[in-house]
Amino acid sequence: MHTSTLNRILLVCLVAVCAIWLIIPFTMAILWSLVDPSEPWTPDKLFPPAMSLYRWQNMWENSSLKSALFNSYTLAPLAAILTLTLAIPTSFALGRLKFPGREFFKMVAILPLVVPGFVLSIFFSSLLFQLGLTGSRFAAILLAHSVLFMPYAIRIMTVSFEQVRDDHVNAARDLGASALERWSVAYLPALKPGILATLLIVFIQSIEEFAIGFIIGIPDFVTIPTLLYSQMGQDFVRPNAAVLALILVVPNVILLLILERLLKSANPAMSSGKG
Amino acid sequence: MTAREWIKIALLLTPGIGLILFFVGSVIYVAIAQSFGLYNLAGESKLSLEFWELLSGKRVFARSIGYSFFIGVTSALLSVALAYPLALWLRKPFRGSLLIGALLKAPLLVHGLVAAFLFVNIIAYHGVVNQFLQAIGVFDGPRRLQNDDKGISVLILQVWKNMPFALLLLTGAVQSISDDVLNAGRDLGAGSFARFRRIIAPLSVSAMQAALVIVFIGALADFSFQTIVGPTNKQSLAQYMTFFSSKGRWNEAAVVGVTMMGLSLVGALGLTLAAKLVFGGRK
Amino acid sequence: MIKNILSGVAALAISASAVVADDLSSMSWDDIVAQAKEEGEVTFANWFLQDELRAAMAAFEEEYGITVNIPEGDNAAFNNKLLAEAGNETGDIDVFPRGFNDFENLDLPGLFIKLDALPADDGRVTELVGIDGQGFAVAYWGNQTGISYDPARIAAEDLPQTPEDFAVFWAANPGKFGFNYEKGGSGPSFYMNMLANLTGVDLSVPDDSPERIAALEPGFEFFREHAENYVITASNGDSITRVSDGELWMAPGWEDHVAGLQVRGEIRKEIEFYVPSMGMNGGGNGVAIPKNAPHPAAALVFVNWLTSAETQSMFNATFGTAPMHAEADDSAALVPNEQRAYRQPWGAQPFRGTIEEVFIETVVQER
Repeated sequence: MHTSTLNRILLVCLVAVCAIWLIIPFTMAILWSLVDPSEPWTPDKLFPPAMSLYRWQNMWENSSLKSALFNSYTLAPLAAILTLTLAIPTSFALGRLKFPGREFFKMVAILPLVVPGFVLSIFFSSLLFQLGLTGSRFAAILLAHSVLFMPYAIRIMTVSFEQVRDDHVNAARDLGASALERWSVAYLPALKPGILATLLIVFIQSIEEFAIGFIIGIPDFVTIPTLLYSQMGQDFVRPNAAVLALILVVPNVILLLILERLLKSANPAMSSGKG
Repeated sequence: MTAREWIKIALLLTPGIGLILFFVGSVIYVAIAQSFGLYNLAGESKLSLEFWELLSGKRVFARSIGYSFFIGVTSALLSVALAYPLALWLRKPFRGSLLIGALLKAPLLVHGLVAAFLFVNIIAYHGVVNQFLQAIGVFDGPRRLQNDDKGISVLILQVWKNMPFALLLLTGAVQSISDDVLNAGRDLGAGSFARFRRIIAPLSVSAMQAALVIVFIGALADFSFQTIVGPTNKQSLAQYMTFFSSKGRWNEAAVVGVTMMGLSLVGALGLTLAAKLVFGGRK
Repeated sequence: MIKNILSGVAALAISASAVVADDLSSMSWDDIVAQAKEEGEVTFANWFLQDELRAAMAAFEEEYGITVNIPEGDNAAFNNKLLAEAGNETGDIDVFPRGFNDFENLDLPGLFIKLDALPADDGRVTELVGIDGQGFAVAYWGNQTGISYDPARIAAEDLPQTPEDFAVFWAANPGKFGFNYEKGGSGPSFYMNMLANLTGVDLSVPDDSPERIAALEPGFEFFREHAENYVITASNGDSITRVSDGELWMAPGWEDHVAGLQVRGEIRKEIEFYVPSMGMNGGGNGVAIPKNAPHPAAALVFVNWLTSAETQSMFNATFGTAPMHAEADDSAALVPNEQRAYRQPWGAQPFRGTIEEVFIETVVQER
C-alpha cells in the first residue's frame, strides 16, 4: 500500500478514536456544567431539564478561581525556566563528560521522584521555614518546584546532550567557530527538542503539583490544584466540577497549540539537514 | 582526571544535583529516621524496628505493595508500547500530523483530577458507556463499572495521562535517528519489527528508559486516580500512607513512604536494566 | 522533625503570642471589636462547602466591615498546616475548625487561646457528644449521620432499623445499598453502629486491646458473609450521587451534606434521610483560635458571630445543619425530631481508629 494512503486511513481512525477519547467526555462535561440549580439532571432524561449559565457565573464569582489561574500560570513558566537553567550545567556534565561516578550521579538526580509528594512537601516546608525562606510564598514554591522537577529536566537534557553529534561539534571547531558559534550550530539544534520537552514537562508538572503548593501556599496563595482538590476531590459535585474542568482546559489547549508549533519548528531532522 | 577537571565537574553538578542532594537528601534522611522511630512529631523518639515489624506483619501492606507495583509496571509498559508506533508514525511531518500530535498530547494538559472526573462521569451506572453498550445489546442492563476490582479504570487513566508523556520523550529520540541508518536497515532486508528491534530501539534506548522510569514512578505513587476510580478492596501505597499520616501516625506513614521510595528505585533500576538487556546498548 | 527544627522558635513564639492573648482577655468587648475592625480580616480555615460559606459570610462582613477569607483545602491538610506552623510567631489561620470529637486529640492549651474574652452566652455549645471544649473550643456546625434513601424504591415504614433488617434488605435487593469505608465518616458511622449492635461491645471505652477487637469478630463476620450484597463507594459525595442517579437505593450520608446538595439542585429533592433506631453517630464541628493567629481580635469577634443564635438559625435554613445554639431555630433540618434520640456519640479513640483499620483489613480488603 502507498504510504500516503496508509497515512490517510490511519489518520481517519486516529481522529475518530481521539474524538471518542476527548469529545464525548467534554460534551458530557459541557452538559453537566449547564444544569440549573432549580432541577437536578437525572439519568432518565437525555438532556438537563433546566439549563442556565448560573454555575459558570457562580464559579467565577464565588470561588478562588481567578487568583488560582493567575498564580498557577505565573508560577509554572517561571518554574520551567528556572529548572531548565539549573539543570543545564549538570546535564552537560552527565551527557558530554566522562568521569567516574557518572552513573551514580544519574541515580542521585532522580531522587526527588522517589520521595512521595506529601512526605517531601511537609518536610520541605519545614526546611524552608528553618532556612528563613518563607518571606515570599511565591519564591518558596518556585524553588521547591524547581528542585522537585529537576529530575525530569536533568534526565531529558542529559539524553539531549548525548545526542549532540561529535562530528558536528568537531566540524564546527575545525572550521574555526568560536565557543558561542559552536554552541548555536552544533549543540542548539540537537538540544532544542529536549529544551522544549523540558519546559513543557516542568510547566505541566508545576501546574499539577498539589502538595507543596498547598502546604506552603495556603491560605493566601491558591494554585489550581489546591482549588481542584477542594472542588474535585472524592466529594465532588458534578455540575461544579464540570465547570471547573472546562474552564481549566481552555488555556491549556491554546498553550498546547503554541507548543506544538514550537516542537515542529524544533524538529532536528529538518533543522540540520538529513539529521 | 586532574583536580582541575574535578572542580569543573563539581561546579557543573552543583546547581542541579547539589540542590537535589541538599533538599531532598535531608527529607529522605528524616523519612528514614522516622520509620525507625526517630524524629517523632509527638511523643518521645527512640530507635526501634517496631514500626517495620508491625507493618511487615500486615497483609494489607503486602497487598498494596503488590498492587502499586503492578499498576506502576503495567502503566509504564503500556504507555511506552503505545507511544512507540505513534512516535515512529509522526517521525516525518505529513498533512495533519500537527493536528494528530496535538490531539495525542492533549491529555498532558488535562489535570489528572479532571480526567478522573470526566472518566467517572462517562462510566457511571447510567453514563454514556453503559447506555451505549445497552443500546447495541452488549449489556442486558446497566452494569457497575466504577471501582472495578482489577484496577482497569486506573490503568486506563494512567495510560491516557502518561502515554503522551512517553510520546513526547520518544518523538525527540526517534526523530534524531537519521534516515540513512533506517534506509540501510531496509536495504539489508530487515522487516519492520527487525528494524525496530535492531535499529530504532537501540538508538532510542535512553529515551525509552527515561519514559519507562518516569511513568513507572508516577503510577506507583498514584493517589488521586486510585481514590476516585480504583478498586475498593485494594489500596495503593500512597493511599495507605495517607491513611496513616492523616491520623498523625507518622512513623507508620514513614515506613510506607520509605518502602515506596525503595520500590521506586528498585523498579526504576529494573526497568532501565531490562530495556538495556533487551534492546542493547546505545550507538 | 518539625518540632525539632522549630523548637527554639516555638518557645519564642509561644511567649510572644501569650502576651497577645492576655491583652485580649483584659480588654473590654468594645475595645476588642474596635481592634478587630482595625485588623480588617480573618482567615477561617473551613474545609467543607467553601464556596457556599463564602457567600454566607456576607452578613458578618456587612455588620463589622471585616473580610472573611475561607482558603481552599481539606481537614487533614489544615491540621498539618496548623501543626507545621505552631512554632512560627505568626501563623496563617485565625479560626481553626475541626470535628468536635477530634479536638480531643489536639494539645488544646499548647495550640489555642482560651475563649474567656467572648461575651457571656449560655446558649453556646461548649460540650458536645461527651467531649468538653475546655474553654478552647466551641461548636458552630451541628451534624448527624444517617441514611439517605429513595422513597420511590422503599417506603418509610419498610426502612431497615437494625442489623438484621439491613441483612434482609441486602439479600432482597443486592447491590442497592452502598457505603463508604474510609474517608468521610458516614460509612464508618454506619458499620461501627452495626458492629456495636451485633456484638454488644461498648465503643465509648478507649481501650483497643486485642481482646476487645476479637470481641467484634462476629460483627466483621456478618459483613463478610453479606459482602456480595452491598456496594463499597468512594466517598460521601459518591454515595449520594449514586442514590440520586438511581443506581443505589440507600446509602449512609450526612444530614447537612444531603440537605445542602438538595438546596443547590445537585441531587434530587425527593431523596429522604433517616436515622435508624440502632443509632448512628452525630455531633458537630467546633472552632478554636490558634495562639499565633494573625488577627486575634477579629477571630474572637468572628467566633462570637459564628456561634450566635442568629447565625445558627441562618445555617439551619441555608445548610440544613442542626443548630449549635440553644435558642436557634431548627425547623429546616432533614431528620425528624423524634429520630434525634437515636444519635450516638462517636466511639472513643484509639479504639475507633483500630476498628477502622481492622475493618478495612478483614472486611473491605477481603471482598
